[in-house]
Amino acid sequence: MNRVSLYIDKKNCMGCHACEAACKQEHGLGVGPQLVRVIEKVPQFIPIYCHQCGNAPCKRACPVDAIVTNDLGIVLVVKENCIGCRECVPACPFGAMQFDEKTALALMCDVCIHRLAEGKAPACASVCATHCISIVGTQKKTAAVFERAAA
Amino acid sequence: MEAVTQVRTVCRSCHGGCGVIAHVKDNKVIKVEGDPSSPISHGTLCAKGLAITQLVYHPDRITHPMKKTDAGWARITWDEALDTIANKFKRVIAEYGPESIVVSQGTGRDYESHLYRFANLLGTPNVLTAGHMCYVSRVASTLITCGTLPVADYMGGPKLIVLWGVNPLWTNPDEYKGEVFWQAYEKGAKLMVVDPRKGFTAEKADLWLQIRPGTDAALVLGFHSVIIEEELYDKEFVANYVHGWDAFKDRVKEYSLDRVQEITWIDKNLIRQAARMYATTKPAAIHWGVPTEQTNNCVSYTRAATGLMAITGNLDAPGGNALFVNPPTRTVAEFAQHKALSPEQQKKRLGGEQFKLGARVALINPKKAWDAMLTGKPYPLKAGILCGTNPVVTRANAKEAYAALSKIEFLAVIDFFMTPTADLAHIFLPSGTWLEQNHIADNWKRHGYVLARQKAVQVDECWQDHKIFMELGKRMGQQWWDTVEQALDYLLEPAGITWEQFKDKGYLRGEMVYHKYKQRGFSTPTKKVELYSTIMEKWGYDPLPKYVEVPESPISKPEVAKKFPYILDAGLRTPTFFHSANRQVPWLREIREFPIVEIHPATAQKHNIAEGDWVYIESPRGRIKQRARLNEGIHPQVIVAEHGWFYPEMKEDGHGWNISNVNLLTDNAYETLDPAMGSTNLRVCLCNIARCDDA
Repeated sequence: MNRVSLYIDKKNCMGCHACEAACKQEHGLGVGPQLVRVIEKVPQFIPIYCHQCGNAPCKRACPVDAIVTNDLGIVLVVKENCIGCRECVPACPFGAMQFDEKTALALMCDVCIHRLAEGKAPACASVCATHCISIVGTQKKTAAVFERAAA
Repeated sequence: MEAVTQVRTVCRSCHGGCGVIAHVKDNKVIKVEGDPSSPISHGTLCAKGLAITQLVYHPDRITHPMKKTDAGWARITWDEALDTIANKFKRVIAEYGPESIVVSQGTGRDYESHLYRFANLLGTPNVLTAGHMCYVSRVASTLITCGTLPVADYMGGPKLIVLWGVNPLWTNPDEYKGEVFWQAYEKGAKLMVVDPRKGFTAEKADLWLQIRPGTDAALVLGFHSVIIEEELYDKEFVANYVHGWDAFKDRVKEYSLDRVQEITWIDKNLIRQAARMYATTKPAAIHWGVPTEQTNNCVSYTRAATGLMAITGNLDAPGGNALFVNPPTRTVAEFAQHKALSPEQQKKRLGGEQFKLGARVALINPKKAWDAMLTGKPYPLKAGILCGTNPVVTRANAKEAYAALSKIEFLAVIDFFMTPTADLAHIFLPSGTWLEQNHIADNWKRHGYVLARQKAVQVDECWQDHKIFMELGKRMGQQWWDTVEQALDYLLEPAGITWEQFKDKGYLRGEMVYHKYKQRGFSTPTKKVELYSTIMEKWGYDPLPKYVEVPESPISKPEVAKKFPYILDAGLRTPTFFHSANRQVPWLREIREFPIVEIHPATAQKHNIAEGDWVYIESPRGRIKQRARLNEGIHPQVIVAEHGWFYPEMKEDGHGWNISNVNLLTDNAYETLDPAMGSTNLRVCLCNIARCDDA
């Protein structure tokens, strides 16, 4: 199946945190949920983000099927179905699944699907000075996802 | 409800320069994005720029003028605020002379043209900026050596990049941003990093030289020693374009690699390898940062580093260190009317006789200003206007800065927020952010570009800084333009373009020509690169670069080192803040909630300190606390602390300026300053640490 995901080339992450600010702005988030974040272990920097796992553990952990793979092959939280039980949070092997205390709902990276539809890179990737954030998935498949998102 | 419009503009969350597209709806910026068409940043943008909307619309932002009353701060009109300042300034001028007014800014924010014009027309030579130890000191030192500032030519394809005390990916790199450094690195340039601390760039480097903080001038002379001994220099260039080569060679002989190893703590074989790599990999570009300037050896380091570029044929060469040609706009100096300041007033510049190179670039050292405020000598500073500066947090010996600014009779402050410095003021003037101004950005830089910073929105009663100086100037009887934009037309006039046309164009670039010296020499008295400075000689300073031991080190102050055994590197930068700015911006503060002090794990263990512990850092001048982060990439005897900290969330006066402020530890005594420039040794002193159990 199509699998489109962010990929952050860890060795070139310089820990500037621009991706975090860009993501907050793009998604209108306040302090709290961090859909992408960088942990500093100077001189190493470890980006934490949703990998769009196949057979996603967050999805398996969800008792109410609020985490779905949509028809573009992207794993997403369906807000309307989420009961805020947090089961998905520890299930994520990367620590990427977030819980928004304000809405009491689970929150995850949506790969900036609205930007992909406009032919733009996700917000985090668009600002990265070392260009270490990219979208992976075979080119053909990625293009197909964009096309369908745009339709 | 209006549609969203997009305004192309230029960031200034640091010194600025990155292209931005601001999305505006109903006179509100709802989003900013990097501008892919920017020749400087190519669409990238840092956390500081991206978080600007949280600063612009911050609930604590002051958006109207205020005066301090017995009952606290009270809202007033612009007329009342400006009249109050003008009347006070007129009284001071009548009683003490215009030199008793200090005009001050902090780091470069693209309004020095207007600030200096205001000061010069006022008749005061006392302009206090960060320039004595940051950037302007670099410009001044290279001005007397090769005529202008040589800038790393990343776009010209360097084969070797030397990052010397700078991390262009994290912090403001002035001319060129981190992204173009990265492009050049990705194209295969080798990388050499001089840094006491192993950060991202040191980890990537082909050679990392872990230097003892503050000894850069010795290391650069060590490079020269190898290059001269092994005859790796460009003999034709040296024969034709260097002044004082023999005298310089004699001076370099004093810096044997054994001696340089002892001073810098860098293995002499590594120094030799590095010097060879620099001299034989062409072109090679040196990008250097403020730690080399914030020392007693500021001028020596900068002049000797320029010498390296020169004798290896990298000066004004593509991919080396270029002397970029700016577009033909009016310069900051011309707009500022430096010539309007009479020789008689120039002579009164505080410290002008002592720091002649500082005086040459029209600025004073802060210690001179604090002394005049506190002691009234050589004459009193009675009133001041401070724009975008927070010296209580960012200048050495913060306690003295605080005392001086508490004592001055009258203080007006221009800022976005109440800061520990603004708390001491009598009048507060609210300035517009970079989204609220029209200006020709980067006109003071030396990368060959000027950029159109376009106003996206008006926020309440905030005025852009330029307008504040214009309107205050008019009240002082000075000649200015009716509108901000008319002044911009004047700046642009020689380029044959108006502000309206420039806005559409976005930027201008000077027509670059390399190797200009082959036609007309260098802009120095001898027309050569003056490794032996005829200007320094005339002024009575040492005409040759040298290394003088760090004023407070285990070597220079062994007695002090008994109680304070560690070397404090007092200037760790963060990618989210800029000096003392941004700590009230939620997205940024979430990333970095507390100040960080880096300690080697072995040292931390000795003091029973664990990761995340609050730690007292103490120097002979004071004690602060920051939170420990263990880092194996620093020397066990070196402690690296963040600068710029106060706590905007503490609402009482002072905003916690004396809790984590690293400048309570630094020194500003005259014997610690650069003798010609007056640069403060803001970076290096002795300290001790202890776990803080009462935090």
